[in-house]
Amino acid sequence: MANFRRFRPDDLNKLSKCNLDPLTETYELSFYLQYYAKWPSLFQVAEDENGNIIGYIMGKLESSPDVYKFSEHYLPWHAHITAVTVAPEARRLGIGKLLTEQLEAAGDAGNAWFIDLFVRKTNHKAIKFYESMGYSIFRVVKEYYGDHSTDPTQNSEDAYDMRKPLKRDVKKEHIRTDGEKHEVDPTDVW
Amino acid sequence: MAYNKYRYGPPALKSSVDMQLQSAFSDGNWSTVVRLAAKRFATFKDPYYEAIKVSTEAQLQGTAEKCAVLVHVDELVKSKKTPDIDTLDLFEWACQDFIGYEIEFAETFGPLRARWVKANANSPMAVSCLQGCLEQWDLVSAQQIAATLDKTHANSADRRYMFWNITLTFLLSISPQCTEASRKVYSLLTVRQLQKAADITESSEKLEKTDKGLLTEEEVCLYYRVLLGHGTKEEFLTRLKSPKLGAIGQLKQGHKLLFCECLDALETWGEWDTIYELCRDALKLGLDGSTTPFFVCDLRIWKKFVAAATEATNADAALDEVQNVLKQFIELKDKATPMYKKNISLALLETTFRLPSTTINPNHENKALSPKVIQIGLFLDEYYERFAAFDDVKGYVAELGYEEAKTFLEDVLPNIPGENPTKAQQIIITALECRLRYTLTTCPQTLSPHPTVVEGTDQGKPFKCRVCSNLAKSPCEDCLKKLIIDAANAYSQVAADKELLAAIPKLDRDPRLDLALVMGNSLLKLSGLRPKLPNFAQSLWQDVQPEVLLQAVLLLDTQLRVTPNDNGLRLMLVQLYLLFGCASYAHQLWVPLDVKRTIQDALSPLFFDRISSISPGLFQGTRPLMEPLRAYYSQSLRDPSPVRIWDAFSSGSYTSVLDMAEYDKKLRTSCTLVMTLVEERRAARLFVGKLDIDIDDHILATDIVEDTTLVHKTDYGSFPNLESANGPPIQDFIRLGPGPSNERSHLSFLAEQYLDLLSYTPPKDYKPSKAAEAAARDKAYNLETLIRINTSLTDFLHKPPTPKLLTPPETNYYTALSLLSALVLTAISLPKSEASVPTIVSQTTQSLKTTLTTLRTGLLSPRSTASVSTEQTISSLCDMPAFSSVRDIALGTKLSAAFVLACHERETARDKSGRSGLHKGVVMEMKALESAAAKTLADARAHVGVLKGVMNESGWLDRLLDVVLGEEDKEADELTDKVSDVVDGRAGAEEWAGKVVESWREGVKGWGMVRFE
Repeated sequence: MANFRRFRPDDLNKLSKCNLDPLTETYELSFYLQYYAKWPSLFQVAEDENGNIIGYIMGKLESSPDVYKFSEHYLPWHAHITAVTVAPEARRLGIGKLLTEQLEAAGDAGNAWFIDLFVRKTNHKAIKFYESMGYSIFRVVKEYYGDHSTDPTQNSEDAYDMRKPLKRDVKKEHIRTDGEKHEVDPTDVW
Repeated sequence: MAYNKYRYGPPALKSSVDMQLQSAFSDGNWSTVVRLAAKRFATFKDPYYEAIKVSTEAQLQGTAEKCAVLVHVDELVKSKKTPDIDTLDLFEWACQDFIGYEIEFAETFGPLRARWVKANANSPMAVSCLQGCLEQWDLVSAQQIAATLDKTHANSADRRYMFWNITLTFLLSISPQCTEASRKVYSLLTVRQLQKAADITESSEKLEKTDKGLLTEEEVCLYYRVLLGHGTKEEFLTRLKSPKLGAIGQLKQGHKLLFCECLDALETWGEWDTIYELCRDALKLGLDGSTTPFFVCDLRIWKKFVAAATEATNADAALDEVQNVLKQFIELKDKATPMYKKNISLALLETTFRLPSTTINPNHENKALSPKVIQIGLFLDEYYERFAAFDDVKGYVAELGYEEAKTFLEDVLPNIPGENPTKAQQIIITALECRLRYTLTTCPQTLSPHPTVVEGTDQGKPFKCRVCSNLAKSPCEDCLKKLIIDAANAYSQVAADKELLAAIPKLDRDPRLDLALVMGNSLLKLSGLRPKLPNFAQSLWQDVQPEVLLQAVLLLDTQLRVTPNDNGLRLMLVQLYLLFGCASYAHQLWVPLDVKRTIQDALSPLFFDRISSISPGLFQGTRPLMEPLRAYYSQSLRDPSPVRIWDAFSSGSYTSVLDMAEYDKKLRTSCTLVMTLVEERRAARLFVGKLDIDIDDHILATDIVEDTTLVHKTDYGSFPNLESANGPPIQDFIRLGPGPSNERSHLSFLAEQYLDLLSYTPPKDYKPSKAAEAAARDKAYNLETLIRINTSLTDFLHKPPTPKLLTPPETNYYTALSLLSALVLTAISLPKSEASVPTIVSQTTQSLKTTLTTLRTGLLSPRSTASVSTEQTISSLCDMPAFSSVRDIALGTKLSAAFVLACHERETARDKSGRSGLHKGVVMEMKALESAAAKTLADARAHVGVLKGVMNESGWLDRLLDVVLGEEDKEADELTDKVSDVVDGRAGAEEWAGKVVESWREGVKGWGMVRFE
């Protein structure tokens, strides 16, 4: 049913199964192509037999800008999951997990310390999923999202910055057990 | 379209410039800058100050000052001297509004920057020059800079320069910017350079990061892309098998891209033995631990492996090996994730279907319960409850022989949930069975040929259905009816069972949705709805049974209220409502899909294609209807280079560079882009009559000329397609007409160009001093444009595929414009002194008048509301695109005649001698044509008036429900009863009927605002 391969720009014409789902955000062209340009091997898709995209992950390998080197929020060389989505029809097959594992492997291959991602605090399903894969909360980014997914009366929502240590972090120096107690502002994250 | 690298401000001045001038410059105090720079130039004689002065003058209002910089740039280009880089920056900033218009970057700044880099190759600024040229998509200059950098840094450890040079040389070699003479040289050059790099890799024990061999996955894949473009097949095949740079060698390093890409090339060449060997070796890597076990365990790979084995030189041995490898994967299945488990199960299914029957069933035992049937059963044992179960097996079931299919449906499928299935499991199986039964109605094996003439009478039923034994057409209507009844019964059973209803949210997919889709699709087929062929009738209503078609829509709409998040169903309904002329309601259904940003190019045609001819009123909203789409293109195509191309270069993503260039080219020539431009213009003309700019001058139309191949990429992936591969997919049935195409897009674009020419009026203050000369120039321009448009319109209309790509009203419209453009051309070029008007003129005008009369009488309704029946009205409401074409043809005719007559009047007014002006006969013909067009337009306006009157009558809700569900006091047929049950009877359908009627009223109201003059 599914093939895993690297993203190619023509896939943008086959995104309807994923991106018509209200839980999946559609970005500007430059956003997708930025990832394809800079980190092509970290932009992976799952396609069905007819070439429709039924899942994809976009990620990157980077560190915080040098200017923040001495900031407490500086992030060393790490992998980041920008977006991961699976079409409704392809859920419960572990496609999200496989895509995430592929990015983790790329992070290891790129000698990253850890892999991280942002997730809405109320997205319990996703949080549980990431926890099952070894991710833990590293910090809470206050009012990271400009809207609230469950409460229309609120105009912002906190994010969890979740992390999983990669092979390079032998001593597990880049994760915390009490991440929920560490709150930061959106301006502190890159 | 010009790239504006100074969008966010001017370049910095040299640090040697004094503070006073610096501060005036940074404050944008241009007059002061000009004055100070002139003073400094006089004092220091440094030409940089003159450059500041000239560049700053370009920011002032006066045309002479603005353009002075162009002269300086021209001098710089001609001088052949190495320019100063800071001067270049200033000039480029000053010329930002001229690039792409008055001057071309590739003829000015590109060569200047290349010249500067040649003299300063070691400067860090050289890379900025490369970036600048690349972002202006000046590949010639960019390649020259890259070549210079490569040569200069040949001994450095930085490998980027070499690959930038190779990538740019390759890009140039496949670009229209390359001269034919250079193309071959560049092609050869890239191949040789990469061959050399490949040889270094092959011969090195271990490649260091500073070596000039192929090291990264991107570099290796670039080599193969270049080989595919310019190399030989033999070299490609040889290298593909090499231990280091071959596909398997790359897989061992964790690089899958080459393996995926090469399979397509090999298939094109029919290299089945190589495909077979590669797939086998790749899959075995997972088994022997060289890669992770399921690294290439994709269904695509399995399918290619099996297909290649059947085509291999020694097919028997190859097929044995396929089974052997598959067996080993089946043994690993327990360790696999659900996705790979499923892929292995599907691989087993695929293998069973592709192996020769002598292999899988050597003794031909029990042909009905064949190994194929058993394998589908085994697959469904595991997956029947999953969302994608139907799509997974549909193709295989459609391949079964009739006896096999019968056994599968009757004996295998019902037993899949086991002996004591839950109610939910039972209904899932029923829904799956109904869907597969529907699919089988679209398969030839369920019908056998039967003499259609019985006792001298043609029964119109050329088949005997093997399922129900009745005489049938294709598909079998009796089977479809039975399917509707069975699905409706199952649907009603679910609706009445609280236990089942409570279980539905826990299921992968709501079985009611599947049952509704079966009923809806069956009703659509029963209604007579078919893909739009060139000979289909003008009116949808002439082809179909309206009540059955409306029942399908009602039923599917009812289901959408139950499962509002099903996008496939929603998209299907959007199409159906557009077909019905209910555009405002289709829009209401479209909006929640939130089609925005990047996905618009592929999805927007599903709503916007032909929208101005269905419901112009939609364009009268507070926000321009197609603004998001236009904004998307404006944003994405703002620069001449592909979005983010420098990011790809600077990151060493060479295959991304090539793919992004290709994607950008397609986006600039997208049928959806043309649709956006044309639909907005058509709508504007419907209301305003005149447009601000010609379509040719639109910034988004820069890349569209007659020989451009326009690309259509409409994404139908989300449509629920129950059809088998034996017939067209569902979208072909429910779309208003053929989908977007190169031919139709060009015709629509040409039509706009023609109307632009006819609508042109010179500015009021345009009073040329030499009137005769100006008139001659205008005439020459008009003739030249008319010849071009007429030739292109005729060419596109006469292309063999074109008739299949247009609706009949579109064919009428473009044919009429082709005739009109020819007529206008003859009319204005015919000398007044000719004795008589060529017969072609009278023949053409006669033909056009006949067309107008035929269309008028054929399509436009009676002038009185009293004589219009419900069916007639609905038919008219559904035929608005045809009505729109009548208006368009009439208006095109009127404008053409007016254009010719205006030429005549201008000429006679300018030259009172009586020698100028057009031929008397031509003028008479044009007046007659104008009058015929005016009459048609008046009738068209009256038609809208009649429709408006009829739609304003009361009782429409009941009238519509009477058509759909039959009159209340009369007994309905069994199918109508079943549909009625599903939609909760007449009361349940009332809300729907209200929305449909309201949408029709809104549509007619919109047409009421349209100009008919």
